[in-house]
Amino acid sequence: MTAHVDAATTSTEAGELPLVDSGEVLRAIEYYAERGWTDGLPVVPVTESYLAEFLAQTDRDPDEVLLTMPHLNRSCTVRLAAINAALAGCRPEYFPVVVAAWESLRKEGYVPTGIWQSTTGTAPLLIVNGPIREAIGLNSRGNVFGSGFRANATIGRALRLAAINVFGLRPHQLDQATQGTPAKYTACVAENEEDSPWPALHTDYGLAATDSAVTAMVIRSVVHIEARHTTVPEQLALDIAGTIGRTGALIHQTISACVALCPEHAHLFDRAGWSKADLRQFLFDHAVNDHATLAAVGKDALSRRSKWRVPADHPDAVDDDSPAGPEEGTVRSLNSAEAVQVIVAGARNAGVSAVIELLGSRGEPPAVTPVPPAPAR
Amino acid sequence: MERAGLPAVSICTDAFEVTAQAMAGVYGFPGFEFVTVPHPVASLSAEQIRDRVRDVMPEVVRILGVES
Repeated sequence: MTAHVDAATTSTEAGELPLVDSGEVLRAIEYYAERGWTDGLPVVPVTESYLAEFLAQTDRDPDEVLLTMPHLNRSCTVRLAAINAALAGCRPEYFPVVVAAWESLRKEGYVPTGIWQSTTGTAPLLIVNGPIREAIGLNSRGNVFGSGFRANATIGRALRLAAINVFGLRPHQLDQATQGTPAKYTACVAENEEDSPWPALHTDYGLAATDSAVTAMVIRSVVHIEARHTTVPEQLALDIAGTIGRTGALIHQTISACVALCPEHAHLFDRAGWSKADLRQFLFDHAVNDHATLAAVGKDALSRRSKWRVPADHPDAVDDDSPAGPEEGTVRSLNSAEAVQVIVAGARNAGVSAVIELLGSRGEPPAVTPVPPAPAR
Repeated sequence: MERAGLPAVSICTDAFEVTAQAMAGVYGFPGFEFVTVPHPVASLSAEQIRDRVRDVMPEVVRILGVES
């Protein structure tokens, strides 16, 4: 037995560092890596007794199927989800959130069709609401989308490891992403309900503020909006709308998005009398492109069958019948106000928000999924 | 389609060769023969597409087992 070395620059009192057989731990980590059971980072070795602690956090049968990819004839069961949550470094009490995340992905509907294998290179994003955030230490404030919080880091990673280990979606093989996204390591945020002037996301879709919920979305880019300069709501909203409408994001006729407002920006809108619905309507009306802008990048028509954007002189081109914007000669990037969601996340220290570009949903309600309390034992 | 009794040949670009082999393995057909064409296809003109088809046609006919 040897003591771990101190990983911090501050000195630790002798006797505080845990004693471990480092050779055994390293052998286990290397074994998992050699089997390819990893996203590239070391994983936590999982024993049957440790797995049992995860399974004790849910009433579900370990063999219950959470999500199937029919074209691969492979399914993720509760037991497989638990193994991969443990590998990812989750604590057992995070497992109800992981189970709800898989349910939400199934409801969202894009993952079972094979989007995780696409050249598009998407990742799942999880948004967590309600009391479970505090209970397990999920970050909703400073450095949201970033590192530093075990629950955020490992719950998102639990999905990625299952994508690799359960569905076999390894890059260069069944995962054909041309370029991935850092979100493929992990992408799990909590909504900053405490610093939001508006009702939380899950309460917009029928749950109580005292309920906990996970909402999964299929994302690619998280594009930041730098806007510390204005107190005018229209200016800020136009900055956001310009990012939602950017031509580079347009694969299909329209896009969908989730705007993650920092508390400062959310309060700016609220002080001006804007509700979340007002902001969504404004973004619907102003995330537009004129025909000249689309023609300049060769995205001014649609492919007859795929409806992907193509140049007007493409052999498969048909006219762009996208919904017209409020101004003459413009087309909308969103098909409805419902195609943009709004959450509040981040610190109360600057005017920095983000547009999360979504694939899949085009205005359907988000896959808000309740997290049941752990069973009493 | 072949399992349904309909002779078929899969064609993909060379960029997808590894994935195509992996999918064939998933479906229980390791070593399944398919035709590859140079990548990319999406940005080709109609004439260039015709050239690609002309180039691979002998290979398609061979995999279908057509005897000359």
